[in-house]
Amino acid sequence: MPEINMRQALNQALREELLHDPTVHIWGENVEGVGGGFLITMGLSNEFGERVKDSPLAETAIVGAAVGAAYCGLRPVVELMFADFTYICMDEIVNKMAKVRYSFGAYNDVKLPIVVRMKVGGYFAQSSEHSQTPLAHFMHTPGLKLVFPTTPYEAKGLLKTAIRDDNPVLFFEHIIHFAAKGEVPEEEYFIPFEEANIRREGSDVTVVAIGYMVDLALEAAEELAKEGVSLEVIDPRTLEPLDMDTIMGSIEKTGRVVVVDEDVTRCGIPAEILMQIFEQLTEAGKTPVPMARVGAANTPIPYSPELEKAVLPSADKIIEAVKKVLV
Amino acid sequence: MKLTHEDKILLYRNMLRGRKYDEALTKMFNKGQVPGMWHSGIGHEAVGAGVATFLRQDDWLEVTHRGITHGLAKGLDARMWLAEHLGRVGGYAKGKGGHHCADREHGILIGGGTIGSCFPIAAGAGLAAKRLGKDQIVVCLFGDGAAQRATLHSCMNLAGVWNLPIVWVCENNLYSITTHVKNAIAAENIADLAHSYNMPGEIVDGQDVLMVTEVVMDAVERARNGKGPSLIECKTYRFREHGEGEIPTPYRTREEVKEWKKRDPIKLFRYLLLDEGVVTEEDLNAIGTKLDKEVAETVDWAIESPMPALEEAFTDIYVE
Repeated sequence: MPEINMRQALNQALREELLHDPTVHIWGENVEGVGGGFLITMGLSNEFGERVKDSPLAETAIVGAAVGAAYCGLRPVVELMFADFTYICMDEIVNKMAKVRYSFGAYNDVKLPIVVRMKVGGYFAQSSEHSQTPLAHFMHTPGLKLVFPTTPYEAKGLLKTAIRDDNPVLFFEHIIHFAAKGEVPEEEYFIPFEEANIRREGSDVTVVAIGYMVDLALEAAEELAKEGVSLEVIDPRTLEPLDMDTIMGSIEKTGRVVVVDEDVTRCGIPAEILMQIFEQLTEAGKTPVPMARVGAANTPIPYSPELEKAVLPSADKIIEAVKKVLV
Repeated sequence: MKLTHEDKILLYRNMLRGRKYDEALTKMFNKGQVPGMWHSGIGHEAVGAGVATFLRQDDWLEVTHRGITHGLAKGLDARMWLAEHLGRVGGYAKGKGGHHCADREHGILIGGGTIGSCFPIAAGAGLAAKRLGKDQIVVCLFGDGAAQRATLHSCMNLAGVWNLPIVWVCENNLYSITTHVKNAIAAENIADLAHSYNMPGEIVDGQDVLMVTEVVMDAVERARNGKGPSLIECKTYRFREHGEGEIPTPYRTREEVKEWKKRDPIKLFRYLLLDEGVVTEEDLNAIGTKLDKEVAETVDWAIESPMPALEEAFTDIYVE
């Protein structure tokens, strides 16, 4: 199986879907030629012409036009350079994209097939407006699907599933993963949503990790194995829909859980997942398990690398949390 | 476009039809039969009928919250529209959307509660129309309030750069709720903005349905022939308050309202038709009588439409 990086895997998925469906159209800032801020769409405009198009620097227009175009028969796959820029077009995402089917389309069975791809994540000294991982806002918004792959194999299979989905999908790509290599089949394949991936089997503590946090959790697992502590690392891959069954199955075995997310801890995704775990356990008449969360500090993300490191999650912080639930 | 006698009578009917439905819902609101809110568009009928009457069914129309005449002239189903306002299951969104209706079958785009969100939607519709190659065009209505949003800039710019088949039509009724346009827009006329986006901009008397029709349909032909977007500003006036149930505050004078009401677009057109000898008083009265019957039947139907079952609140969020 050929080894390629996540950039190439995403590019393959986009190319296959452009070939598969003439209504698939891509637009965003600088997507022609070199292929956007992170080179993902490289070469596609040469092959597909107008269907891969540079847009003006206007996130409201990029994302809002995707809503209008999807309503009128296209299958837009648009790119935002940074997930931080979703804040520019919150109205288009939260008030329109997420709500059109429910508030306007019930009679006409309106489908809104849209994918908004965007780079997320820190650890790259890009400061407070280029380093965020703002998934929690959108997990909070009914009507959206959220996908966050962590390997080239997942990136391709999940992006293809996202493009074929008839719902709006926000697709997050971590900056650290772009260059990471992995095996990706040349033949077509799809990875279904709501199917968590158990990245490492273990018996003592379940660690649910999102996006790049999976890499850190695996690092922590490696360290703790030396001390005889066995972590089971689960990557949900999609936050909506969320595969709670796999998480609950793991907790059944380990009896302890830590949830890790790169975003600010307060009101974050770990809080939500842990509460769902608590509710499922207590509703089934079971004893709640020891639980902990790891996330970023309640600060803007600082620029200076050592400060950034102090604020964001790390393998060490995960180990600390694991030790808390082991007590 | 050259209008026949029949076309003119259709314009008159569409204006009057919008007015009568508007009055009916206003009355129902004031009797407490409407759970939410209602923004009457009385005074705007020349824009509504002039813009929408001669579009193709597969053309796209973005209407404002004051757009009942416009929507009905485009093919919006009056019964479903009214039922939706009453929160009934027979409405366009089974009562879940309320006062913003969309109807894809009849080319009516997504309205919305965030003023100015119309521009990106219309830009996307224009892009789809262009790429799908079926000669469809888009008409996007917006008010002077929406013209204050940054989305206008980003989307008129996008439509200009991508040469999209869009006719931007501003219904400038002078007030965004209570703020006068002079205190909110620096340009002398909203149509003046067109120059910045390299498209033609025209100012039209929004109370003159023939003028609105002529200028809009010219722009529609331009868009259909691949010549890109246009901007038309219709100077009009809202006869009632921003929302029903609102107490008028002294943001405009009684005299001003009275002056504008002298230029009621339906009355003006009625005089013109009679003057031209196109129709008789009896003909026009018969149109009114027929519409009264239709509206009464629609009101009955909508009131009889059941409330949605509680399970409806939990459906239509995702395509399964």
